[in-house]
Formats: sequence, C-alpha cells, structure tokens
Amino acid sequence: MATGEVTKGRSGGLLESARASSWQTRIAVAVTALLLVLLFVQAVRDPAQFFSQLVIGVTNGAIIALVALGYTLVYGIIELINFAHGDNFMIGSFVGLTVLAGTFAGIGLFSPITGDSGAFLKVVGVLLALVVAMAVCGFVNVAIERVAYKPLRNSPRLAVLITAIGMSFILQNLGLIWKGPAQVAFPELVSSANILPTDAVVFRWKDLFVLGMTVPLLLGLSYFVRNTRQGKAMRAVAQDKEAASMVGINVNRTISITFLLGGILAGASGVMFGLFNGITVFNVGFFQGLYAFTAAVLGGIGNLTGAVVGGFLIGIISSMADQYIGVEWTSIVIFSVLVLVLVFRPRGLLGDRSAVQGGGS
Amino acid sequence: MALLRRYALPVVLIVVALLFPLWNSFLEETVDVNLMYPVIVITVYIMLALGLNIVVGFAGLLDLGFVAFYALGAYVVAWLASGHFRQVSVAFGTTATSITGEEVPGIHLSFWLVLVLAGAFTALCGVIIGAPTLRLRGDYLAIVTLGFGEIIPRFFQNGDDLGGFNLTNGTIGIKAIDSPGFPFLPDSLSAWQRFGTLELYPWFYTILVMVLVTIYVNVRLQDSRLGRAWISVREDETAAAAMGINPVTTKLWAYALGATFGGFAGAFYGAFIKNVFPTSFSFNVSIFILLMVVLGGMGNIYGVILGAIVLQGTNFFLLPQIKTWVNSIGEAVGNQALATVDIPKYSFFIFGIMLVLMMLFRPEGIIPNRQRAEELHDETGSGDAMGGAIRA
Amino acid sequence: MPENAGPNGAGKARNNIMEARGITKVFGGLVAVNRVDFDIPERGIVSLIGPNGAGKTTFFNMVSGLYEPSAGSFVFAGRDVTRLGAHQRAQLGIGRTFQNIRLFGTMSARDNVLSGMHTRLKGGIVGSILRTPGTRREEREARERAGDLLDYVGIQGREVFAKNLSYGDQRRLEIARALASEPKLLLLDEPTAGMNPQETARLTDLIRRLREERGISILLIEHEMRVVMSISDRVTVLDHGEKISEGSPREVREDPKVIEAYLGTAKTG
Ligand SMILES: Nc1ncnc2c1ncn2[C@@H]1O[C@H](COP(=O)(O)OP(=O)(O)OP(=O)(O)O)[C@@H](O)[C@H]1O
Ligand SMILES: [Mg+2]
Repeated sequence: MATGEVTKGRSGGLLESARASSWQTRIAVAVTALLLVLLFVQAVRDPAQFFSQLVIGVTNGAIIALVALGYTLVYGIIELINFAHGDNFMIGSFVGLTVLAGTFAGIGLFSPITGDSGAFLKVVGVLLALVVAMAVCGFVNVAIERVAYKPLRNSPRLAVLITAIGMSFILQNLGLIWKGPAQVAFPELVSSANILPTDAVVFRWKDLFVLGMTVPLLLGLSYFVRNTRQGKAMRAVAQDKEAASMVGINVNRTISITFLLGGILAGASGVMFGLFNGITVFNVGFFQGLYAFTAAVLGGIGNLTGAVVGGFLIGIISSMADQYIGVEWTSIVIFSVLVLVLVFRPRGLLGDRSAVQGGGS
Repeated sequence: MALLRRYALPVVLIVVALLFPLWNSFLEETVDVNLMYPVIVITVYIMLALGLNIVVGFAGLLDLGFVAFYALGAYVVAWLASGHFRQVSVAFGTTATSITGEEVPGIHLSFWLVLVLAGAFTALCGVIIGAPTLRLRGDYLAIVTLGFGEIIPRFFQNGDDLGGFNLTNGTIGIKAIDSPGFPFLPDSLSAWQRFGTLELYPWFYTILVMVLVTIYVNVRLQDSRLGRAWISVREDETAAAAMGINPVTTKLWAYALGATFGGFAGAFYGAFIKNVFPTSFSFNVSIFILLMVVLGGMGNIYGVILGAIVLQGTNFFLLPQIKTWVNSIGEAVGNQALATVDIPKYSFFIFGIMLVLMMLFRPEGIIPNRQRAEELHDETGSGDAMGGAIRA
Repeated sequence: MPENAGPNGAGKARNNIMEARGITKVFGGLVAVNRVDFDIPERGIVSLIGPNGAGKTTFFNMVSGLYEPSAGSFVFAGRDVTRLGAHQRAQLGIGRTFQNIRLFGTMSARDNVLSGMHTRLKGGIVGSILRTPGTRREEREARERAGDLLDYVGIQGREVFAKNLSYGDQRRLEIARALASEPKLLLLDEPTAGMNPQETARLTDLIRRLREERGISILLIEHEMRVVMSISDRVTVLDHGEKISEGSPREVREDPKVIEAYLGTAKTG
C-alpha cells in the first residue's frame, strides 16, 4: 500500500490536492481557517500586542529555519532524520558562550566579552563566536556522519535513525558535563532596546540582529546549492546516488559537505539563539530540534524553501501560542502540528523531494 | 528429549524467579542486601520491554513514544484508585478504608479491576493514535510516536486546570494511590489482604505473573497467523499487501498490543510507587526501553528480558558502584571534579554510546532472533521497517 | 476456449473475470500507461507483451491495486474494484508475482506460502494465544496444504530461507505463495525470466495446469515469445503505454505495427 500512497501524492501541488480533497483535508482546512479567524480577531482587538508578538515569532522563526535547513539538507540527501542535529545546535550555543567568556579548558585567552564591553569589542566578539561555533558544529556534524552513519548506509533506515538518537544523547550529555544541568546566561551583547520610536509595537535591535544575520546565510546557502559545482553535485546525489557516482561525482564527499553545511547553519543558529534569548541549557536542542524538524516537515522535508517557510511559520505559531493559549501549551501545540502534518499532509506545504523524483521505493 | 530441550530452560528460569523471595531473604541474612525493590522495578521494565518488543521486534515499527502508554496506565490507576476525584465517593472491592468508618472521598476501585481497565484504555488509545498514523513510512511514524510520547505527559502536566477541572493535578501529580490486595482473605494472609510497603513479596508475585502472561502472549503470537503477517509486513509491505495482508490492521494489532502491556505495566507501577508525576514519563524512558529491546535482541524474548535486566541492573547497581570507585579515585589523587562527580546523572551518556555501538557492531543484539540477524546484515539495500528487505 | 479470443468488445458475449477501461497512469510528466482497455475472460490465459518500458508492469500494478490509476476503472468478477487497495483485491481473488522477486527473504519457503494463505485462514488473536483446538487444526491443515502447494510447483527445501533458494525455486515459490491466496485471477510478471529451457518448459506446463486443474484465469507478462505463443488465448501488445495490437497469437505476430515496435526498440537499443 505504501507504494500506492506515495504515487497518489506524487502529482500536483496544493491547489490540485485541495480539489481532490478528502473529508479529512477539508476538516483540516476548516480548522486552520477558524484558527486564522480567531487570530485575526485578536489582532484587531490589540494590534500592538499582536505585531510585537509577530516580530518575536518571525525572529524565532529565523533561528528555527536555520536548524530546519540542516534537517532538510540531510534528509534530502540520505533520507535520514538526523536526530542529533538539534543537539549540535546546543553545542553551537555552548561554543559561542565559551568564546565570549574568553576561557577554554582553564586557559584564559582574553577577558570575557560582556554587555559592558565597548561596541567594537562586542561586534568582534559576536562575529568570532559565530565563526567558531559554525566551524565546530560543521566539524562535529561531519564527524558524526563519518563515524556513526556512514558505516550503516546500507542498513535498514530505522537502524540509522536509532544510531542518530544515540548520538543525540551523547551530545546532550556532553553538554551536560560541559556546562551542568542549569540554564547558563549569555552576555547581553545585542541591545534589547526598541528601534521603533513608538512603545506600542516592539521591534528590538536583537530582532534586527537575528534577521540581519539570517538573510545573508540563507542567500549564501541558496547560491551555493544552485550555482556552485558542489551544490549541483549535492542535488545530483539527492536525486540518484548511483547515477551521480557514475557521472564522476564523489558521493561520500558530497554527503560530508551536506553535513558540513547543516552543521554550519546549526552553529550560527545556536549562537543567535543564545544572544537572542539570553540563555541556553544542555537540553535546549531537544525542543529546538523538534521544533525545527516540525518546520522542515511542515514545509516539505527535503525542500529548502519549505524549511525556511516552515521555520517562520513554526516561529510564528509558537509565539502566538505563547501569547494567546499559554506558554505551557506551546510545545503541545507544536507537537500537534507535527503529528497533524505528518498524518494529513506528509509532503508538507510545498511538497517534499520525493514529490519531484521517484520517492523512496 | 526434544520436549525436554524445549522446556528445560524456561522451566528452570521460572522456578528460579518463583523462588526469588526465598533466596532474597537468604541474601539479606548473609550479606545484608535486599534486592526486592530493585527486582520489582526491573520486572516492571521487563514487561515494558516485552510490550515494546511486539511493536519493534515483531512488527518492525520504531516506537519512540512508548512511555505514553506507560503514563496512561499509571494515570488510570491514579484516577480510579485514589482520593483524587474527591467530588465523588465510589468504592468497589478496594483496600482503602477510613479509620472513622465514613465514606472515603474519591474513586476507589479494586486494583484488579483497574488493571483490566488500564489495559483496555491504553489499547483504545493505541488504536486511536495508530489508526491514522500507521500508514506512514517507518521514520515518519517514529517521529509521530515521539510526538505523542511528548504530548501526553505534557498534557498531564497542564491538566490541572482544564476549563476549571482538575484532571491530573499538574506537576504535583496524584498521590496516595490505593494498594492492591484481596480484602476478603483471612487475616492469616494479611500481607495479601492489602499489599504493604514492608512486605514486598506480594508485589513481586503480582508483577511476575503479569510478566509471565506477557511472555506467554509473546511466544504464542510469534508463530501464529498474526506473527507471520508481522514478519511479512516488516520485510516487504507491498508484497504483503499483494498477498491480501492488510498492512495497517496488522501493524495496528502490534501497536495496540504493545500499548496494552505498557498500560498494564504503568498501572502496576503507579500502584507500587503510590504516586504518579508527569515528569517521570519523559522521552528518556521511551529510549531506555527501546535500548533494552535493541541491546537484548529485537524479536528475541530471552534477549529482551536480558536487555531489561542488564540495563536496569546497570542503573541500580553498576552506575552507583562506578560512582563510588571514581569518587574514591578522585579523592586519592586529590582531583575535586572526580571526587564529586555524580556518575548516574550521566547515565544517558552511557546509554547513548551503547545505542550507537550496538547499531554499528551488533544490531541484532546480545541474543539475536535468527531472522532479524539475517535482515539486519543484509547489505543489499535499505528497507523501510526495522530490518526490512530491499524494495525494488 | 481459445476460439473466443477476439478483439475487444466481442468479449461481452462471454464472462470476463476482469474488465479494465481507459486505464491511464501518469508519473510526473511521463504517461506510462495510456487509456488501455483490457478484458480477461474467465479461465483464459491472456498475455501482455511489449518492449522494455512499455508500461506492462505498471499496468499490472494497477490491476493488483498497488498503484492507483490516474484514470480508468477496473471491474473484477462483476464488481467495481477501482477504489480498493491491494490487500482487498487479493482477498477478492487477484493474486500476483513480481518481476523482481519479492519473497519474504528470511521466512522459510513454507512460511512464505502460509503468508500467502493469510486471508483464507481465520485464526484470530485470541485463538492463537489460547491455542484453541480450532486454531490448531486450522494451522495443521494449512501447513499440510502449504506442503502440497510446494510439491505442486516442485520445491523441495521447505524449511530453507526463501532468499537461500535457487533462482528458479524462488520464482516457483512466488507462484506457490500467490496460489496460496486462492486467486481467481493470477498475474504473472515475467515468470520465466532467468530460467533455462527445461525449467521454462516445466513452468509453461504448470501455467497450463493451473487453468485446467484449478480453473484460474491468468494474465501473463512474458518476453519469451515461444511461451507466449504456445499458451496464450489472446495477446495484447503495449508500446509506450499504448495498446497497439490485440488478438490471437498468430494475428499479433503478423501485425506490422507490432513488428515495427519491436524493431524500433531493437534499433535504438
Ligand atoms: N514508480 C515509478 N515512478 C516513475 N516512473 C515509473 C515508475 N514505475 C515505472 N515507471 C516508468 O514507467 C515506464 C513503464 O515502466 P514499466 O515498468 O511498466 O515497463 P515494463 O513494460 O514492465 O518494462 P520491462 O519489460 O522492462 O519490465 C518506464 O518508463 C518507467 O521508467
Ligand atoms: Mg516490467
């Protein structure tokens, strides 16, 4: 039956499937519409609050989108849910924190960069933290692939998934050993002051910072995948490994590069998360990872644009849930989105990679 | 002779288990260790692992949210055998009595009835969760089950104010759950009238019987019509469908059966520790049980039991022991970090490493199931299920 | 029987076990099967031939319910089965084998056949757990029947893992497994592929016996023309997803369009 399911989903986009929709799809659409209406009512009632919340959602969404890209890149190329990816994100935030503290393994390299440091030092510190975290996370991701996933490339898919879960626990506990069980504070390097002259709608410098960092990263990734040799090789390997290796593409190297890219984005995202939220903790990767995975699935896993769209949507959904439903329900809302999307629209909003090519079978 | 070969080992093992309270009291007298409490907990986990084995080992579905059913079972006991719903006062065959002789507030049903209800309820939940999701590909299914495994405990955590109604008592959890027991027994059997906290052996025999039933069901189903259908769907869902096997109902059976055993185990555990809290049902527990199945040998009943014993044994005895060693080494060499490190806190570091190593070097587990070993070492391609064959 | 073999439409006079109308399958932009009408008469042996990639297997997958057609309908034994899934069609009596063998590799030959019997057995879960006399009897009988079926197709190693059987045995085991589901219509996708001439001859004989002794209708995809010509009542030719010819083996063999289709691929291939 699986084959039948896959083929059914193969043709057509959003509109077409809406026309050929089952009662389930209609209910889903109706519920979504209802929620949007309720949200709209809230927006009209207190527009300032709504837009401030929207800004937070978009900013968080940018951070999620970067992580989601890591899931989607890897899934697109080897059909693995890289469960350890969220924890790599956590490692990224820890690395950033360590860089800013200026001390590593007991050796003080420079004095800590804090909120009181000069503007120039802050900029240098943030950039350094980002670059080092990106490098470390990229390396960690590649190493994990080499050590844990590559030997299992011909094993059943779920065996690799179990390995990935094991790696996730390993990273998470490394984080636990490194910084302990409590939340750790990030120095406040980016101002929380409002940019806008009005007090009604809040758009802070750190919102601008996150968006300003994310956009170039996204453009860079897009350029890389579309226009460079390596990017083309990636797409070829994603389509068909055998054919790719036959035309002389080094498949192993391409897979490594994919993991490298995913790791780099996770590293950047981890540091931005820390600077934006002011804290990080050893198990932050579990929830952020699942949010990001939800985003990837929502957008259509394997689909890069989808991951970005999904990331922003999940960011907005979670900030709206925080505000209008209650913070303690947000994770339930997000997990419900995950379950509902997988059940009713496993291809996601924009369609997954297997919608374009032959699919798994 | 063949009969002897087939039944000798199980019979010996069952006898050893049945006599456990005897040799436990011997141990207590000679070396002053009482294993009763840890052994009961280990046995609960054996039951959980055997339940998950039906899902992962037999049907090849990766369930990352098995803890949900464990939690549901525990909460059913908490609801139906405690003073939580003090708006009402219902009693039936219970061991709960009040000193004053007045009606006890809350629902107090006999544990044995609640046990059955818990199994039925979790089975129903299994069907409700499984029916729409079991069409999904293996890795998606894994994530959906993870989602449910997170939603359900979180719901329990937030469920103290559902439109003003306190269903779960939130993070505090539900306390003072009634003990199981047979109130009608004569006073000479007082330990059995109401299971107490001093005499643990009635608890032990209860969970032992529950595990034996689980094993029996596992064994019988393994080579039945349904057992064959599980293997077929696990190996090649498409071919199975072409043979007239409905993949979704086949998987649903596995999922619901696993859920039922998870629910039984949860119900017992809730009554045993007398309290349920949402935080005891985290993702880690799901993974811990999964590791038992993977470590012991997916699909092999002996293996799964061994996996549960080894891992819970590690938790109870090995890790504290290692902590003592490491700390004393730390003190000896004057290293503050080593002297104070709390090894059990990092148990999942070790379990994570074990998961990875098992998958890399011995995916079929310590005591493999013959078919699973073949499937997992088939280098021809990757299937969808846990150990599925190639899909051309 | 064979004399009934006429072009489409004449089939109305006789009972058709399967009637396909306007079957179309589109993969992305590729039209793999294009508006094919197809009848299989009861107790008939009908062959589907065509060059590689003509869409034969795709058509098969739609008949057995593994693919949902993009357009068209199937009527099986007087019942519209277009919307039914593969397992439901198998329950109604459509059995099949696969071009690229898809046995349950780590099951014994006998268990493979028993899996095929799944829908014809009743043994429920409670019966299996309690091992009631009814379930035990059914299992015993099923095992015997499985043994008989393995004998019937000529397989000795009953307890051998399917993946360790010889290639020819694997093909025969697929047939035995399909027969175990007691099909009224059996779909065979290149059953003689990879067989030597003796094995091919034996299998041809077996297919004939399936109709004679068990009254099964057969739809056959086959590249081996000698087999097709010797046992088919009727032959249909697909090329690029279109039905280009249909008729008795002789008619088809002499159809210029068919010759051209095969030569065309011979040139490019
Ligand atoms: N699942 C699929 N997705 C996309 N294209 C497919 C799929 N299955 C088949 N095709 C395409 O449909 C066309 C028909 O394939 P099909 O397998 O039906 O041919 P065939 O006649 O059985 O060939 P052969 O003689 O080689 O078995 C081919 O071009 C094939 O690539
Ligand atoms: Mg074919």
